[in-house]
Amino acid sequence: MVPLHFSHFQSLLLFALIISLAFGTLGRRKPIERVKYAAWSFAMFVLVGIALGWLMYPFSR
Amino acid sequence: MFKENTETTPAVGEASGGQQPAASNQTSAESNSANSGRELSEAAAPAAEHGAPEASSAVRAVAVALAGWVLPGLGHALLKMWGRALAIFLIVGFLVYLGAGMRGNVFEPGGEDAFARLGYIADAGTGSFYFVARALEVEGSDVSHADGDYGTRLLATAGVLNLLAALHAYEAARGRKA
Repeated sequence: MVPLHFSHFQSLLLFALIISLAFGTLGRRKPIERVKYAAWSFAMFVLVGIALGWLMYPFSR
Repeated sequence: MFKENTETTPAVGEASGGQQPAASNQTSAESNSANSGRELSEAAAPAAEHGAPEASSAVRAVAVALAGWVLPGLGHALLKMWGRALAIFLIVGFLVYLGAGMRGNVFEPGGEDAFARLGYIADAGTGSFYFVARALEVEGSDVSHADGDYGTRLLATAGVLNLLAALHAYEAARGRKA
């Protein structure tokens, strides 16, 4: 199998996207609610991930 | 194993939510699938009067959960929740593919420390896909780079997500939620 290579940010986006889809699928019943919940989860994953990254930045060196 | 679903009424949660009838006409597959969980709960309705049907319903729900664990999405497929079954199968499968492609660590049983043992439990949560991950990683894991570390997390996430889906299928089979 061909090895896959992603940057940190690409990995973050990929993880957020897949897990958000899963949360939307399992967490809500109506399609529109699923889309809203998945979009909300995705936004929160990305925003919190970036915020945590910046919070840790002063201690990175 | 499970009765064919022919009803067209909305599921329990929708009916009690006071939604418009048209709103329940979301996707026929999901509507039918939700009814399936309702049927199972209705089958368990006389449980208070008879212990045997309750036990039978519980056994059936456990079987659904186990099926969902062994093959991601199968538990929901048995409940005729086709949309969720396909989504779980694809999501867990994609996570396993990504994790193995990024050369994440697929933990083996009998790890020497708690981290390895917990990692194995998480990886084993993917059921049969655990062996797919091991088969895909012909060159073994490589966690000396960030890719491999992320891959390890993706594999663990796939397992935990599948366990969550199996629990969801169990709850749906018991008619508690869908």
